[in-house]
Amino acid sequence: VFQGCGGLVSVLIVFVWLGGNQVSPLRPICDLRVLEHFIREAQDSEVIMRGCRGGCGAMKSYFVPLTSVDFAFWEHIDVHEQAVEVQTGLSLLVQALSTAMKAVSNSRLASALDNNISNIHSLSQILSTVLPDDSAPASTQSQEVSSLPELLQVQSSFLRGKVRLLLSAAPACQRQNS
Amino acid sequence: MESRGRVDGFYTLRSLRDRSRDRFHVAQLLQDETEHIKCFVEGKDLTCFWEERNNLHHQYTFTYSYENKNKMACAVSSLLASNKTIFFCKLPKTPFFTTLDVQVLRDGRMLYTRSLNAENFLFLDPPRNLTVMSSGKEGQLNVSWLPPPLKYMDDSMIYEVRYAVEGSNMGKVEVVKVSTMLVLLGLQSDTRYKVWVRVKPDGVAYKGYWSAWTEPVFGVTPPSDVDPLIVLLVLFIGLILCLLSLTVILSHHKFLLKKLWPDIPTPEHKFPGLFTVYKGDFKEWMSQNNGSMWGRSVHVYTEELPSLLEVLSEVSRTSHDTSQREEEEEKESESSDSGLTDRWRDPPHAHWLMEQLRALQENPESRCQSSLLQSHDTYVTLNQGDNEQQVDDVFEETLPLQTLFTTTGTSSLSTSHSDLGSLQQSSGSGRLSSQSSFEYPNHTWAPKGPGYAYMAVADSGVSMDYRPMSSSRIAELGRHRMYTNDYKNEICPHKWPLSGQYIKSGSESCTGPVW
Repeated sequence: VFQGCGGLVSVLIVFVWLGGNQVSPLRPICDLRVLEHFIREAQDSEVIMRGCRGGCGAMKSYFVPLTSVDFAFWEHIDVHEQAVEVQTGLSLLVQALSTAMKAVSNSRLASALDNNISNIHSLSQILSTVLPDDSAPASTQSQEVSSLPELLQVQSSFLRGKVRLLLSAAPACQRQNS
Repeated sequence: MESRGRVDGFYTLRSLRDRSRDRFHVAQLLQDETEHIKCFVEGKDLTCFWEERNNLHHQYTFTYSYENKNKMACAVSSLLASNKTIFFCKLPKTPFFTTLDVQVLRDGRMLYTRSLNAENFLFLDPPRNLTVMSSGKEGQLNVSWLPPPLKYMDDSMIYEVRYAVEGSNMGKVEVVKVSTMLVLLGLQSDTRYKVWVRVKPDGVAYKGYWSAWTEPVFGVTPPSDVDPLIVLLVLFIGLILCLLSLTVILSHHKFLLKKLWPDIPTPEHKFPGLFTVYKGDFKEWMSQNNGSMWGRSVHVYTEELPSLLEVLSEVSRTSHDTSQREEEEEKESESSDSGLTDRWRDPPHAHWLMEQLRALQENPESRCQSSLLQSHDTYVTLNQGDNEQQVDDVFEETLPLQTLFTTTGTSSLSTSHSDLGSLQQSSGSGRLSSQSSFEYPNHTWAPKGPGYAYMAVADSGVSMDYRPMSSSRIAELGRHRMYTNDYKNEICPHKWPLSGQYIKSGSESCTGPVW
């Protein structure tokens, strides 16, 4: 019996070792193409905004996250801190976009904004899956913008910058051969 | 970036100094920039520059700000060109993914201003380690390279591969996304190709300019690999075809030989021993093989085609002077083909003959309607039914002939008759018997015009009895009187205007055509 158990255990160990050492393909949730899709739709909103002639939202100030990335600085930040910062920023963006959408009467722009809001919700869920956001939300800095075009640009920059860097640097999404 | 120097502010250009082509490339790229302040990111640092004509010295300051922060200054450097001065500034810590507001102040007053996002102006280094290898397949080359060493941008680069035949200026371009290798297809065999690669951000997360082309790398396509295989196959198939044809030829060589080289027929098989034993001496051979040959030859001859034989009938003289008739003593059958070679001598009864002919002339119809053959002494009497009288005069020997030939009404003799037996003369009245076969054309005879009796007599040659004209009789001409056999057919003189000849002489009187 012991010999049988020992054999079974050794076989299991071998399997676990093999499974652990294998180059696992990137998890589908880590695929950056999803994020890139969201980024393009955010850029589409900017294009619509530039072509908007009427009902394009009132001049209003919005509180938005900081988007600038200093690579040297960013590399030294802990991943979890990055995750917290990104999640806070995403929630800020959602609030701002929702407020802006109420003031927009242009149907095309409104639908684009609605699309962006749903995309950001999806991103939050993806990031919470990849990086469990269990730490307390830190007081992140924010900035104020005074118009919808600026808001949309902030959204685009935030997604292309911090969100993307976080997703590509998440440990769960790291490829073995990188 | 290893060649980059940090001596002066315009280190970007200085770093490209060693790669003169790149320097011009950057300048060329930024020629299209309409903004006064031209910026690009090399590595992680943003460099902005502007041009000024040589003029009075001014004090230029460069400031930038982002995210509502305070303005920051950047150290301005200058580079003297031909007739202009280039001022540039490199931001020490370039913030990405945010809008930068840059300004150029000349002597404290704002000259130029611009807002830009740094991540949109990337100017990457060209790819590294470009290698071109033959894949082994015809017309293919494997191209591979490494991306520029930039973090966070590995997934967002696109490449352009340019290739051309060495020495040619016509090149083709292939765009490759993300992947750092490419298989070139459709190339010429056994040709040397030049390959270049350049890179650019893909435009989603990062945007920018095309990098400089790499140094060209050469690769040779493999030679056409069709030849050895095709040659082998062709040889193999040719060998198989040769073997097949050889087999066919050998199995049918006799047939083919007959067709191509036919034997010359020789009559050797008919003459056994003629050429082998007697060396072609026919006389010798004949003498040796005499007895055994005749039976065969007769047999052979009787099967041969009959030849034409004209039979001259002896005009009957029973009504006139039978006593004058010669008796024919036909005892034996001679073996000769002399039926046609008999000499004819004037018969003593030529006078009588002439009279006969005159009578015939006078009464042409009666003659015409009457017998076909007047003579009773002929070998053959072709009598019609109403010639019974004359038939009575016919000797018995001719009776069999008559029964064969007698017809009613029309004298159609449509039968061909085989050999008749030799009619031996038994009595003194010269009988002519012939051993002959008669063949008549199968159509009616009498009422027709000058058709004439056509008697094909089988040339029995050997045993032909022609009384009195057998060849043996010729030798006895002195003893016998010769008759001219008058073979009267139904050719009526009045219907034959040119038949004057047949009346001509009784000695050789023949009815109808003279022969």
